[in-house]
Amino acid sequence: MMNLNRRALLRLGLGSLALPGLSRLAFAGPGNEPPQLLVLLHLRGGCDGLNLVSPSNDPDFLAARASDLRVGEDGFALGSGATAGTDFRLHAAAPALFELYGAGHLAVIHAAGLSAGNRSHFVAIDMIERGIADTTALLKTETGWLTRCGRGAPAGVVGCVSVGATPSGEFRGLGSALALPDLGGGLLPAGGPQVASVLANLYAPAAGAVATAGRDALAALAAIDRRLPRDAAGKVVPYAPEGNANYAAAGELARPLQVLAQLIKMEVGLTSATLDLGGWDTHEGQPGRFRNQVAKLSSGLGALWEDLPGSRDRTVVVVMSEFGRRLRSNKSNGTDHGRGGIALVLGGRVRGGRVLGPWPGLATEQLDEHVDLAVSTDYRQILTEVLTETDGRTPAAPVFPGFSPSAPLGLFRT
Amino acid sequence: MNTATDPSIIASALARAGFGARPGEVTGIAASGGFPAWVERQLHPADDPDSDLDARLAAVRLRIRYGAAKDGAWGAMDEMRPLALLERPMEALWPLADGKSKMDGAERRRPRDEVIAATLVRAVHSRWQLREVLAGFWHDHFNVDFFQSDTLAATLPAYDHAVIRPHVLGNFRQMLETVATSTAMLLYLSNRSSRAGAANENYGRELFELHTLGRDAYLNDRYDRWRDVPGAGEGRPQGYIDQDVYEAARAFTGWTIEDGAGVDGKRKLPETGRFTYVEAWHDGYQKRVLGTEFSPFAAPMADGRQVLDLVAGHPATARHLAGKLVQRLVGRHPEKLVEAAAAEWRKSAAAPDQIARVARLILLSPDFLATKGERLRRPLALAAAFARATGLDLVPTEGLVGAIAGCGQRLFGWPTPTGQPDEESQFLGTQAMRGRWALLLGLAENWWGTGAVPSPVALRTTPPTPRTAVTAWLEPLGLAERPDIGAAVLTGLGWPPDQVLGPPAAPDTERRLARIAALCAMAPAFQSV
Repeated sequence: MMNLNRRALLRLGLGSLALPGLSRLAFAGPGNEPPQLLVLLHLRGGCDGLNLVSPSNDPDFLAARASDLRVGEDGFALGSGATAGTDFRLHAAAPALFELYGAGHLAVIHAAGLSAGNRSHFVAIDMIERGIADTTALLKTETGWLTRCGRGAPAGVVGCVSVGATPSGEFRGLGSALALPDLGGGLLPAGGPQVASVLANLYAPAAGAVATAGRDALAALAAIDRRLPRDAAGKVVPYAPEGNANYAAAGELARPLQVLAQLIKMEVGLTSATLDLGGWDTHEGQPGRFRNQVAKLSSGLGALWEDLPGSRDRTVVVVMSEFGRRLRSNKSNGTDHGRGGIALVLGGRVRGGRVLGPWPGLATEQLDEHVDLAVSTDYRQILTEVLTETDGRTPAAPVFPGFSPSAPLGLFRT
Repeated sequence: MNTATDPSIIASALARAGFGARPGEVTGIAASGGFPAWVERQLHPADDPDSDLDARLAAVRLRIRYGAAKDGAWGAMDEMRPLALLERPMEALWPLADGKSKMDGAERRRPRDEVIAATLVRAVHSRWQLREVLAGFWHDHFNVDFFQSDTLAATLPAYDHAVIRPHVLGNFRQMLETVATSTAMLLYLSNRSSRAGAANENYGRELFELHTLGRDAYLNDRYDRWRDVPGAGEGRPQGYIDQDVYEAARAFTGWTIEDGAGVDGKRKLPETGRFTYVEAWHDGYQKRVLGTEFSPFAAPMADGRQVLDLVAGHPATARHLAGKLVQRLVGRHPEKLVEAAAAEWRKSAAAPDQIARVARLILLSPDFLATKGERLRRPLALAAAFARATGLDLVPTEGLVGAIAGCGQRLFGWPTPTGQPDEESQFLGTQAMRGRWALLLGLAENWWGTGAVPSPVALRTTPPTPRTAVTAWLEPLGLAERPDIGAAVLTGLGWPPDQVLGPPAAPDTERRLARIAALCAMAPAFQSV
């Protein structure tokens, strides 16, 4: 039986995993630095950037918004950004973000987003994930922009992970990207070695998408599982964050962030990761719902930062959303789909503590189609600077088709 | 061989137009008119009641368990309770939804959990398999996330029983208005709070983008003004832009629910949870939607109904819906078939059985019959197919629902209004694949109290060996022509292939046989149909 298992594993290219000392997965050897890591955190649903960081003394803003849909004196002062005199205030439910901002690790890019007008969640997300800005390019752009960055990894190396049920669209077309909602109590297939052995036999010779997915899953599960810490009885030891990191207030973001932190520390070769935080589609009853999501985002990122003292300089977290929301609120005490949104960039090498990007203003003639904050920083400008930092070179032209970078925001220390 | 009576074609057809064949079902259909006759029977489910299913639903006991309230308002509960809420009208569910009476959240969510349990039983046992498949399709299309709040959870029986199911083979325009006036959708897409002055655009936007015309007809980045959209001048615009969304949102102001809200200083709405129209909240002035002028101060609800007429009748809607139906039933969307289905959709626009006609066209098309092994079984369908093939009399339990969610399908809980998409990649992720294998093993080994898998008669009469067991299971799983799968399972098992597994029908023997069934079903060939 052992021989059969071994043969089956070898057919899957997993033979080395069963042989101690022959692993190709050890990245953290001497002189073998772990790779730079790009983390994308999507605020799904269209985060109201104007309610996260408000131009709190802008008369047009004050006139258009009910007071409970904007940040006032109770918010954290972020300075004036590019426009002298504007008092940008961060939502009061985000003290951890303010701390990171104050320490210079977090940058805010306001009025960021898709350059072409689109107020559909699903079209906007699709375009952002493919790295484009017009719908005609959707049909011509089959793959995600991270796929085109050459982020593929050999079997058994966990290079690209979406912490969730399905790989995020940036990985479209990248066979080696994994979807891992949790690391749970170990990752081998349930049912023990007998089931693993039958699965290896069934999936090794088969053709088609399911067979490929099964083979990839078996390889990835084994690669990660063998690195999970176990106690003397062989049980997986639950993840314990470092230092004072506390994810308790991060709500539904708590588990994904801890999975990410654990994967980073396991040194499985991670170069790109994506996570989602939903709940931003606040057409109705925005104040309480928005406050809750902001609190989760803030405390979650604060905990992650605490938890990664050894990896901050090689990690960049980009937080963005498919669009911002309407300047004027509706009568449901909510806001409808808008245009210009907000992005946050967090990392040890980020030149933070600043509100970046040109501020378009909120007077009627300055608004997009007379209703929404305009987009003055293309989301690809941010991603171009981030990729230049993590990859050590400007992204090649096909990564963001049709996009030419403008004056750099200067997101990173030089 | 006639494609409509070829057993392997019927088996694949039953797995897409239903949840998979039961043992003997394929030969039975081949002998009684073939697949076309089966489709014709399935298109008329109302002609014949399903007393077997009714009895099974009546026999279900679904556990409900919670602790006592700290203030003593209610006591601890742990009982096996029948499914009593499935056909309750909205006003009977509203006391669970509105949060005013004191009770544990498990009671508020009970309506949702009962529908989920019934959905599992129906998938396995309903004789009207096509109706169940289409009910799933329409729930995905008109998605509501019943996990978003306890209030929404309490409304699911009315949405399932009175909104979706009556129309799954019916007329789309009627279905659209039933959805537009449903408590669940009014809550989920927040139209119930939409008021004249600054309308809530949530429902209006998803009505165009998701429910009817589709995102391919969203032309906002090409045209800034309504009259620039080709065809708009003649009242037949090719697609829609944001201005259409804004105007449609105005048309639906005042479409709300009776939730006790105050209309003015003196008048309050009743508290039934049912749909109502409040004229005082409606924006009555003239509007323009899809190049069509609306007169000011139309009759009650006339504005919204006119929007529904316009979007339901738009050619882009026919194409969008035909494309989705073809994708779901066939597993891909051949252009010619989509065009034919869209043409049927438009031709039957006024027919009470519009959707049945389109379904018939798709199911009897050469494309449907010629496609085999290309569509991935969604997790619910995988569980149901395994139960149907093995004769497992599935007991619905919370554990099973969780295992299906672990494969990427949280029933009635897709968070965004798109509904769960048909893209297969979402079920092929690392953990989703691991979940699929665990789902089959867990069903076979009764991890979640779903019942024991009965072994085939041949294995209960003579002492079974791994070899005879594999052979006996491949047949009902539809894999009889795949001896390579049997060989792969046999070698992987590691048990001597011809050594008796144990005395027939002994518990240990049955356990091993059930495990072998699951291992056979883990084959890639059982995952796609």
